Amino acid sequence: MKGRVMNTSIMAGLLAIVVVVLVMLASVPKTSAIPAFSRKYQTSCTTCHNNYPELNDFGEAFKKNGFKFPKDDETFVKEPPVLLGAKAQKEAFPQAVYPGEIPGFLPIAFRYSGNFNWNKKQPPDVIALNGFTPRTDLFVPNTFTIISAGSFGPNLSFWVDDDISTGGSGADGGLGDGYLKFSDLGHAFGLPKNALNVRFGQFELDLPFTQARTIYPSDYDIYDQASAAGALGTTNNPFTLGAPQRGIELGGYPNNGNFTWSIAVVNGNNDSPAIRNTKDVYARVSQRFNLEHDPESRKAIQAAGPTGPRDHTSIRLGAFYYYGKNQLNFDGSVFPGMPVGVFDEPFYRVGGDLRFKYRHLELYGVGQYGHDQNHVLNATDTGVERTKPVTFSGGFAGANYWIYPWMIGYMRYDFVNSPTDFLNGVSQYNTRNRFSPGFQILVRANIKVIGEYEHQWGKPFVNSTTGTTQFFHPHAFVTGIDYVF
Amino acid sequence: MSLSRIAVKAAVAIFALALASAAKANEIKGKVSVQGMKSAENIAVYVDVIPDKKFDAPKDPVVIDQRKMAFVPHLVAVQQGTTVEFLNSDPVGHNVYWPSINGNKKLAHNLGTWPKGEKKPFQFNDAGVASLLCNVHPEMSGYVVVTPTPYFAVTDKDGNFEIKNIPAGKYALKTWSEDGKPTTQAVDVSGATATVELTVKK
Repeated sequence: MKGRVMNTSIMAGLLAIVVVVLVMLASVPKTSAIPAFSRKYQTSCTTCHNNYPELNDFGEAFKKNGFKFPKDDETFVKEPPVLLGAKAQKEAFPQAVYPGEIPGFLPIAFRYSGNFNWNKKQPPDVIALNGFTPRTDLFVPNTFTIISAGSFGPNLSFWVDDDISTGGSGADGGLGDGYLKFSDLGHAFGLPKNALNVRFGQFELDLPFTQARTIYPSDYDIYDQASAAGALGTTNNPFTLGAPQRGIELGGYPNNGNFTWSIAVVNGNNDSPAIRNTKDVYARVSQRFNLEHDPESRKAIQAAGPTGPRDHTSIRLGAFYYYGKNQLNFDGSVFPGMPVGVFDEPFYRVGGDLRFKYRHLELYGVGQYGHDQNHVLNATDTGVERTKPVTFSGGFAGANYWIYPWMIGYMRYDFVNSPTDFLNGVSQYNTRNRFSPGFQILVRANIKVIGEYEHQWGKPFVNSTTGTTQFFHPHAFVTGIDYVF
Repeated sequence: MSLSRIAVKAAVAIFALALASAAKANEIKGKVSVQGMKSAENIAVYVDVIPDKKFDAPKDPVVIDQRKMAFVPHLVAVQQGTTVEFLNSDPVGHNVYWPSINGNKKLAHNLGTWPKGEKKPFQFNDAGVASLLCNVHPEMSGYVVVTPTPYFAVTDKDGNFEIKNIPAGKYALKTWSEDGKPTTQAVDVSGATATVELTVKK
């Protein structure tokens, strides 16, 4: 019977390659700065962003405070909210609806991004294998995003972003994040400010470095890594860490945000509807060590630099853990070669991260390990038995440097070590390496020109003339425009 | 009282009267009209350099506030040598710098950062215009117009201005505004009040 499993291994292997490639190519919705806040406070994007959508220390504090200024928010609001009930209605509760508010204007913003891609010339056999990719392509993915965010009162905030058009075709790119957040629930229990918050809906996990709001045109490879055993077993887990999840998250950031924690219970199927009854759990903690000498600066939202406020010199260390159970044959279908019946394959992702900020320099890195239980048919063909798990490791490391406040150079290194992918013919070696030097220029606070060279790892293909396996490195240069309004 | 003593007293009285007349505070009153600009408010009007005339620097400082992420007032005119105190009234970090004075980048200055409630002084010894900026809130904008004489004013929302305590004489009256071109107009302060009509074009 093991032979039958192996007989279907070609199909499973192809499935694995398709899953891995599709996941790697998948574009997670990327959102951005919120010009709606610029309008509300009549302030520039740079109040909250060093290089949108990346937040500076003030922007982080603004976000953590439920999209409000950390102190005396009312005095800065130039567009007062509409009250949905007088504040004194609180005293009448529960005989009256608890008072809230909505933004005094429609808090909607838009973002467009389109890139000019230069791709390495493909050999004919690569074209036959993967389809044709032109040497040059203008304005891709041509994404138009609508973003709405704001607050519904002192402790309620919301966020919705949706790629309403992508690929230049009006195709729906889908919802990115859409959540409602209650801040500072711990106040009632005497906990420090913002020590306990909760959010509901669809959201990106509390990742060490956001993929949805990254400044880079390319995803972090490790965040897009799925697990597929292919010919080596049953594991066929489409979960990726970088895509949004549907669920509930408890979290907090006491001590001026120096310590953060979060625990989320999620469907585990990214932004698709649940396909199993079990729920996954994600947890993260991080601690920032503020290295400013001046005690006053350490306490302030931004440090007092000799030429103006700036981000604190700091090191943040963090750890994260995700646990879930992937289910096979969940919908009545039968995984190739497997008996009928639903069975679970627990998996986990664990990792650590570091971020160092000093003046115009930012260094960062993430290391991650993934482990998926794997099965093959047992000897009697009556069920399955565990076999060597599917594992992978990887991460990324990089540096950003602000040459001027409007000109940023960077270098990023992504790597994924997956022996399983290698054995399934996905890559040339166990480890896939990608180097991505790039630059970003803020033509205006809300308009960017970007450029990134991607030095890619080798992808195998069979030379139809010689019958030998060769490797193609799809290096690319991406440049483009990006603006929000 | 002898005749000679009466004559001396009369002479002293006449001399004192003459002195008082010579030092009598005159004023320039006027109105600035604008062409191609939204408003005639916040236009600095000042008397340009008076040859062979020097003025002591004022002792009292002028305060410019940073409040609700704006420089308040938006434009101030000060005499050369005046100390301006920059106050931060916001609970957010601010900064004040100017990239030049009258385009002279050697006179650029950055005052750094200071917390809410504190002031940072700077003595403006060079005449010209300093464009005040904040490096984290680029929408913030203010101006210090440093004038070579103590005879200056800033227009109200209707473009009216008044320069008081100016001795009689002929002067060059100048204007500076954020959006308009600088103008110069001769003014003769001979009577108690000299009335001037100025036009500033974009």
